[in-house]
Amino acid sequence: MVGTGSNDCSCGRQLALDFQWDERFDFAGFVAGPNAEAVAALELIGKGDRRRVIYLYGEPGVGKSHLLQAACGEASAWGRAVVYLPLRQLVNRSPRLLQELEGVDVVALDDLDCLTKAIEWQQAAFHLFNRLQDAGRELLMAGPRRPAKLGLALPDLVSRLQGVLVLRLEKLGDEDNVLALSRRAQRRGLELPKATARYLLNHCRRDTGYFFQLLDKFDAASLQAQRRLTVPFVKKVLAEANND
Amino acid sequence: MANSLWKGCLRRLEREVPDQQLNTWIRPLQAQEDGKLLRLLAPNRFVLDWVRDHFADRIQELLVGQCPDCPPKLKLEIGTNLAPTRATTVHPSSSLLNPNFTFDTFVEGKSNQLARAASSQLVENPGGAYNPLFIYGGVGLGKTHLMHAIGNALLQRLPDAEVLYLHSERFVGDMVKALQHNAINEFKRYYRGVNALLIDDIQFFAGKERSQEEFFHTFNALLEGQQQVVMSCDRYPKEVQGLEERLKSRFGWGLTVAIEPPEFETRAAILMTKANLEGIELPHEVAFFIAKRIRSNVRELEGALRRVIANSYFTGERITVEFTKGALRDLLALHDKLVTIENIQRTVAEYYKIRLTDLLSKRRSRSITRPRQIAMALAKSLTSHSLPEIGNAFGGRDHTTVLHACRKVAELMKADTRLAEDYNNLLRTLST
Repeated sequence: MVGTGSNDCSCGRQLALDFQWDERFDFAGFVAGPNAEAVAALELIGKGDRRRVIYLYGEPGVGKSHLLQAACGEASAWGRAVVYLPLRQLVNRSPRLLQELEGVDVVALDDLDCLTKAIEWQQAAFHLFNRLQDAGRELLMAGPRRPAKLGLALPDLVSRLQGVLVLRLEKLGDEDNVLALSRRAQRRGLELPKATARYLLNHCRRDTGYFFQLLDKFDAASLQAQRRLTVPFVKKVLAEANND
Repeated sequence: MANSLWKGCLRRLEREVPDQQLNTWIRPLQAQEDGKLLRLLAPNRFVLDWVRDHFADRIQELLVGQCPDCPPKLKLEIGTNLAPTRATTVHPSSSLLNPNFTFDTFVEGKSNQLARAASSQLVENPGGAYNPLFIYGGVGLGKTHLMHAIGNALLQRLPDAEVLYLHSERFVGDMVKALQHNAINEFKRYYRGVNALLIDDIQFFAGKERSQEEFFHTFNALLEGQQQVVMSCDRYPKEVQGLEERLKSRFGWGLTVAIEPPEFETRAAILMTKANLEGIELPHEVAFFIAKRIRSNVRELEGALRRVIANSYFTGERITVEFTKGALRDLLALHDKLVTIENIQRTVAEYYKIRLTDLLSKRRSRSITRPRQIAMALAKSLTSHSLPEIGNAFGGRDHTTVLHACRKVAELMKADTRLAEDYNNLLRTLST
């Protein structure tokens, strides 16, 4: 199910200045597992039912960015103005980027841990937080650890983060992981047998973005070879990709 | 004049651009047309950059399509239609007071009594003896709440008064914009014309000389006109680095009051008040349970309460102590792990850059005794160990030594702001 928007988006992702979220990361493609509460909270944000500020934390790969982007997509579908800011890509630029965002309904700040060494960015994030609160906007944030453990030097920012709804995302169990991979493949029209999903989980980097790239490869290769995504076939495609 | 040109463009773009992009980048734009010019106002820099890079050419083409003979020029800028552009760049739109932050919702305790009393007296006599009122204290202790409460009460008493609450950053931002738009006189007139200026977190003026200069004059003008100024800061005025001496000295002209971290009873009362505001009856034992474990600042208490309430909504379970333990397990594990006597000793030694062995030794020089007394006071406050146990952990000292240390630290904190700040910094490090 790839619409025009997704195509634009995929192209846009090559640009250094892309602050658009990726439409492929939606709620339907997220397996909640132990994180049902966080999913429910973010779905509410998307619909704008409550003016809230949420901070998500958890280890890399648990789905923080996925959920932030899913909430952005949902909010946008409800006609709300949304900005998704992956700080990892932005932190080398001027923090003035965070100015004048209070006109936006939902602001999502991903990878807050990237601000650890950037005191000016921390100040800008603190001021943004205050302005969005004053304007009654919604703010979603994510980082790998609890606010107090992010290593931020600005206590004002840390205390603001401590006062919001802080939710932890847990890792999925093996069965949920298999389900998540299969569901993502299925949404792209590919059938991924359970055995293949297990093989990928055990042998590849557990990173959703990387997995989407793999799916592109599998899609092209299976179409060309007219083969199903069996373990031997997938192994072959991975080996060829590594040789490239 | 109706924005007919822009409406025409919009109808075309609606057919060409996917909904998601339309909602994010195109619909937030506001238009101003005058025949020769279509000015599109973007709510922020992101939208501006994006529209310029991705849509400007197409919009210009559509304009040519609509008026082939004399197509209007397209101009993109940041702004809004709500008021004339210049006015909005210079004047903050309103006083931004939060109606929920009132004196009624402010929980009073020993830690904030003086600040609370000074604030309500100020409302009775604005521009009087407590001018300026300078409220200082660590993060998340209620400074902002108190300032909003002052503003709300002033407006209730004097509905026609011009009461302006703002964060120091907004003052700086407004000034920069005023300079850019050659409107510094309007800026000055506006800020010097209010009846009460409540300005939060003035430590962010540090290092911004031009803003300090402007604030200095605004401050003087307001005081001369007997208008009220209230400021908040994370530390005592004299200790803010990067702030001009003349400002520091003037900030002390009126009344300077401190807000300390809340003690146990106040923390519990804060939790119950906040829960009440959310329409939740928080059982006393739950409030006590959270208040006993989370002590760094009010925001962290608030965060914990939010977590418990959200979890209870989600699961449909009643809020009990057992339930709270489950909902806050990560937060509590973190606190329990950190707050041991050994950890306190290590943290204090590191903070004062002395050796741990010296802290535990019999040495009695001032540079060692003070940190040792602070560490003992922290151990008494943060752990449930008895005085003899604490004494024992500090190189086998008597329990009366620990008692003396606790009293001494409490007494010194009233007189010595540096020591009070050290203590509060350590308290924050150990309990977050």
